[in-house]
Amino acid sequence: MSAAQQVAENAPVIGNPIPVGAEVYNRIVGFLYQEATLLDTIRLKEWGATLAPDLVYTVPLRQTRPMSQQAQSVIRTVQHYHDNYRSIMGRIMRLTETRSAWAEDPPSRTRRMVSNVQVFATDRPDEFAVVSYLLLTRSRFDFPDMDLISGERNDLLRVDGEGFKLVRREVILDQAVLGTPNLAIFL
Amino acid sequence: MLTKASYTLADGTPLSDLVRVPTREVQMRALSDPEIYQLEMDRVFGKTWLLLGHESEVPNSGDFVVRDMGSDSVIVARAKDGNIHVSLNVCPHRGMRISTVDAGNTQIHKCIYHGWAFKPSGEFIGAPVEKECMHGKMMPKEDLGLPQARVTLYGGIIFATWDLEGPSFEEFLGDAKWYFDTLFERSDKGLEVLGPPQRFIVRANWKAAGEQSAADGYHTLTLHRWLGEVGNYSKSGEGGSADLSPEMYGVEVSSPHGHALRCIDLGRKIRKLTGLDPAELTVDQKLEALPPPGMTHEMLPQLRKRLSEEQLEVMVSMPPQVGGIFPNVLFAFVYIPQADGSVLGLTLLHAYVPKGPDQLEFVNWVLAEKDAPQELKDKMLMQSIQLFGTSGMVEQDDSDTWPHMTLAAKGARGRRSTLKYQAVYETGAPAGWPGPGIVNEGFTKDDTQWHWWLYWNELMNAKA
Repeated sequence: MSAAQQVAENAPVIGNPIPVGAEVYNRIVGFLYQEATLLDTIRLKEWGATLAPDLVYTVPLRQTRPMSQQAQSVIRTVQHYHDNYRSIMGRIMRLTETRSAWAEDPPSRTRRMVSNVQVFATDRPDEFAVVSYLLLTRSRFDFPDMDLISGERNDLLRVDGEGFKLVRREVILDQAVLGTPNLAIFL
Repeated sequence: MLTKASYTLADGTPLSDLVRVPTREVQMRALSDPEIYQLEMDRVFGKTWLLLGHESEVPNSGDFVVRDMGSDSVIVARAKDGNIHVSLNVCPHRGMRISTVDAGNTQIHKCIYHGWAFKPSGEFIGAPVEKECMHGKMMPKEDLGLPQARVTLYGGIIFATWDLEGPSFEEFLGDAKWYFDTLFERSDKGLEVLGPPQRFIVRANWKAAGEQSAADGYHTLTLHRWLGEVGNYSKSGEGGSADLSPEMYGVEVSSPHGHALRCIDLGRKIRKLTGLDPAELTVDQKLEALPPPGMTHEMLPQLRKRLSEEQLEVMVSMPPQVGGIFPNVLFAFVYIPQADGSVLGLTLLHAYVPKGPDQLEFVNWVLAEKDAPQELKDKMLMQSIQLFGTSGMVEQDDSDTWPHMTLAAKGARGRRSTLKYQAVYETGAPAGWPGPGIVNEGFTKDDTQWHWWLYWNELMNAKA
């Protein structure tokens, strides 16, 4: 685990890695794939239903720093996203219930490639720490340029019936200066 | 003294034809033409004061951040004497960029190419192998320092210019300073940044954002219409559902130097918070009912100490809430309605840094009063992030608009289309308005943005 340990409030203690192919590992990968589908097909209310009410959703800034100061390359004061369940649901409401959310109307065509999934047990039997890589392609209008957003997600998932709820997500982006005109999309 | 000098663009168009004064139009090629962009780098960004950050970003000796003045990278550093220096981030030896990081602390900025070293003040320390005199025998060491921009601090905000002999920052602000002081000079300890700025690239000409900053209130009605459709604005009962037009009334102040302020009527908010007619309330009662953005009740006596009665009168009735400092700065000192009926103030600054004719870097600083309690700072930070900047629900619509204008300005026909600023105030200042400047009341109009273009035109067509 990298950055996620440093940030979450009331975070569980991260335990042993769960092997690739284990039953819970496979279910978590399935959750991440399904989540990518919901976001890429703009089924935002369905995505909202996978969020836990105590959600914390953040995207730190990055700074270019020397090798010796890499801890300071992740900025968690001002961030790109700093949201909770209520504010994320507000964002979904703007995107789905108004006729004027122009930043995503017409919507971007996106593709969330999720890979390098690592799952860790925690000291809470119903919560799993999940690290994954995200490569998001974003195409808008007839622009030939494709915006690329790449980063590492540090998630906390909680068992919820047969599925999971997203409790914590921190996305460590790779760009110090983002190459996309806004984050009107979820990562 | 600035004097008119004719300049002809490569296709034979006189530069002075771009802004058509009699009809208040601007040729759209100004938003895309590489030749115009190159001229701007010298004539606009080489001449005016530019926002680089806030002194709270570099509190200690040796602290530095790397920022841009137009198309040039600069090192903004605090030297041992406590002063902030702005040095061209280019090694005078062979042109390597000296600092390749965003921020840090060092007393020696050493170029990684041949090792020439400089103090935070930009002074040349020396070159490796001193006995071989590797810095050369032609120039003394004192001439090998990094070129220094002229620096000023205003309310702790760092501005710099390459125009060493030009107007002071106060002269540059002119009459607008009276209003800006109510934002930046109103408290004893002043503002601080809540962290480094957000930065992201928008594929748009810097002027698409710059001219909007000059108090374009009108776009709010349509581009930000969602504010009236869902959320706390629509529920706040100020405009009724989806009608933001009451928010469009107020007073607009512009300046011969292109600065602009939108002073928006606070009366409806005060009435809602107090249940009383604002006209019946004293200045102090209104300050108590709704302190300026980011200030607490405990801080209010500082206002009285630092500002005049006339400035306070404006702050409690028609405070400047959004606007710009020429050429590429936006300020937002806004009052945001909350779900519980209260109001949260936010204080932000943006710079739209030019990165080529069709690209800008959006730099967003989130600020708060140093004296504000941590809990208030935390609330302001979270809400600022949710409404403004990268993921901000308001500004994501702006950054998606400017690229279309820039692309349109590249068309063979589109570049000859014009931006129109023909909605003209004919109102003047409200009766008894205490502030200086070019002042007009009523529904938001085009005058402030037109004055922005007039100053751009003046700089572009001037020769020192």
